[in-house]
Amino acid sequence: MSNLALKELLYKIADDQLILGHRNSEWTGFGPLLEEDIAFSSMAQDKVGHSQAMYTILHQLGEQVPDTLAFMRPANQFHNCILVELPNGEYDFSLIRHFLFDTSEAIRFEMLSQSSYQPLAELSRKIRGELRYHTLHANTWIKQLGSATEESISRLQKSLNEALPYALGIFEESPFEKKIIEAGIFEGEKELQKRWVKKVEEIIQQTNLSLPDLKITIPVFGGRTGKHSEHLQPLVDEMSEVFRIDPGAEW
Amino acid sequence: MNSLDPRVNRLPEIGNPQNIQDKEQLDQFGTFEVFVQPKEGKPFQHEGALHAPNLEMAYILAKETFTRRFTCTSLYVVDTRNVYVSPITERDQNAYDLVENVSDQSKEKRSFEIYHLLKRGKQHVHVGSVKASTPQEAMSVAKNQLNAGKVFNIWSVASNDIRFTSDEEKELWLTLPEKKFRDAADYKGGEKLSSFLERRIKESNV
Amino acid sequence: MYGGGNTFEGIKTDHLKQEDPILLAAFEARIERGEKIEPADWMPDLYRKQLIRMIEQHAHSEIIGALPEGTWITRAPGFKRKLALMAKVQDEVGHAQLLYSAAETLGKSREQMIDDLITGKSKYSNIFNYPTFTWADCCFISWLVDAGAIVNQLANAKGSYGPYCRALERICAEESFHLKYGHHCVIYLAAGTQKQRDMFQEAINRWWAPMMHFFGPADKISAHTEVLMKWKVKMSTNDDTRNQFLDMYVPKIWELGFTIPDSNLKKNTETNRWEYTEPDWEEFKKVINGDGPCNKERLEVRRIAEERGKWVREALLTKAMKYVMPLA
Repeated sequence: MSNLALKELLYKIADDQLILGHRNSEWTGFGPLLEEDIAFSSMAQDKVGHSQAMYTILHQLGEQVPDTLAFMRPANQFHNCILVELPNGEYDFSLIRHFLFDTSEAIRFEMLSQSSYQPLAELSRKIRGELRYHTLHANTWIKQLGSATEESISRLQKSLNEALPYALGIFEESPFEKKIIEAGIFEGEKELQKRWVKKVEEIIQQTNLSLPDLKITIPVFGGRTGKHSEHLQPLVDEMSEVFRIDPGAEW
Repeated sequence: MNSLDPRVNRLPEIGNPQNIQDKEQLDQFGTFEVFVQPKEGKPFQHEGALHAPNLEMAYILAKETFTRRFTCTSLYVVDTRNVYVSPITERDQNAYDLVENVSDQSKEKRSFEIYHLLKRGKQHVHVGSVKASTPQEAMSVAKNQLNAGKVFNIWSVASNDIRFTSDEEKELWLTLPEKKFRDAADYKGGEKLSSFLERRIKESNV
Repeated sequence: MYGGGNTFEGIKTDHLKQEDPILLAAFEARIERGEKIEPADWMPDLYRKQLIRMIEQHAHSEIIGALPEGTWITRAPGFKRKLALMAKVQDEVGHAQLLYSAAETLGKSREQMIDDLITGKSKYSNIFNYPTFTWADCCFISWLVDAGAIVNQLANAKGSYGPYCRALERICAEESFHLKYGHHCVIYLAAGTQKQRDMFQEAINRWWAPMMHFFGPADKISAHTEVLMKWKVKMSTNDDTRNQFLDMYVPKIWELGFTIPDSNLKKNTETNRWEYTEPDWEEFKKVINGDGPCNKERLEVRRIAEERGKWVREALLTKAMKYVMPLA
């Protein structure tokens, strides 16, 4: 089995987690409610922690150490979907992204619990509880704000409309899609997307929001092959600002 | 704003910084009391309070506000208005001595959770459940069933008012003990410090 | 994180005479016995007011204190530092939550306190009015400013008001990670490259004066606070806590081979007290009253955070809600 296919899968998952965790950490100290500020920060730490676990698996497969992978690659070598690199916007966009992404992440890891690749199956079992919290949190907030005031509903709807094409970019298929599925490592993006749509619809139906017609929504692809928006390079520059002062140094 | 902080520079310009006025009507959320079970088998204890718009939100927010560190196996929350408080005592008085005997045969009985505060400065701890029709009656029943003598203060809460953690949800705290990056123990600089000091001594001797 | 000092200016004890002497005597006897005062107890107006002010300022210091370190979260070098700093700054927001809650038991709502912070009515620890220029400045705060705060917090944890003590117990437990993390960061800078060492030395040079201000004005020019010490609201004098800090941490700084920009700094082995150049208390006054490098920015950030969150809070408010005081 081509290690390349497995590594590609690991990289894209890890990069999604790192970049989204990094984005969400920007809210620490700036949140709309004290208690929510704390909760959002916990979830950001979880994401960054997950990415570190994934990069550790990659390191065991022969890639560089996690710090190097996270802090020394240029933007065009990252495999995250474009959704996660977009700026935070206001809390409505961040919450919608949190809802759309974490719904897919929870399903992805549920599927990975059956993976033939042991380290992934183990990691999936381990972080189940954390992902459970992420989706519980997201669903509660979306249901709450998605049925509250005119302003909260219209803000969330606008963000949902804007985020959806990017969210579909999560499921951009890999050139190794068939290999991954045949080797039993992962059931594939198509299957993931199918389950994701069902879950998202289920929650949206409990609000005053409406899900745009996915059949006519054009996905924004490119992230998985290193073709990013103008937002990733500045993010990567900022993230590695101190590290790059002296990459050989111990901080 | 022109700041050294890149996050601050990304903040939107909003509102009027020159004209800061007091909020006319303060937007206030409800208050909820939070109870945490530190270890399997130990009783739940009162940890604190938070503000939230409703019970479910209170549960979700409590999880990170109060149980993101140390040990925890479960948690529950209740609206502060649903916590019935006994009168406070003086010196060696037992709070139960101030609790009236109440007995209501007419209404249906439901479950109430009882909490004791044994000493000023400590936390209320769960001691058991009783059946009663009202919070007052619950305290009266607890007087007979749970009175341990020298209780400083008692709380009673209708079980139905509580948002408990379900068995399924206990996995929320599964990885809590593994998050070492928040433990002081993960930051032992001793070795690094000693090898550094040795180096300095060598360098100054050269 | 809390510096103290500025809290207790101009206390008028005359209205104590208006308090019921029997209740006052019982209240003071309770404190002397070492018993905690709980929210439902009778307490003199002065006690209530001063405690609200002190706890509120402590809470504001935490939420503002999250900003100078928070700015380095997105730039922290490496996973270990990134995760730790995210957790540490999160804790500061968490401490603010715990402290506002404690102050609320005395009768002031959290919203009112936050409003007073943004309008400039309430103060916070002065040290956060300075900018963190480099990663090393962030490390200075994480280690030494936290260390200073812990000296204060450990003292206050033995105070008389139950809810504040409970909050401080929790805070002190979380701070142990902060302190170790801060020291760990600085050890690595000290043991690292010349660039790293220089970065931290420059940070010390910038932050030493604010650090000496941290514990508040010298006792000889401070307001009289005897009644607050009697009531175990103020647990230690400014000079005592400053001396304790110097005793614990100056040797640790020197051990790493760094210099401190005060040639008069030394321990007097006879008096067992540290001697130092008298800090510039005029500068301290100037900054705490609004004329520091970051005052405007700090409050502006809080104001913007509240504005941005307005629609969220409005969407969450319902008629069924009622604000009530926390119980404990």
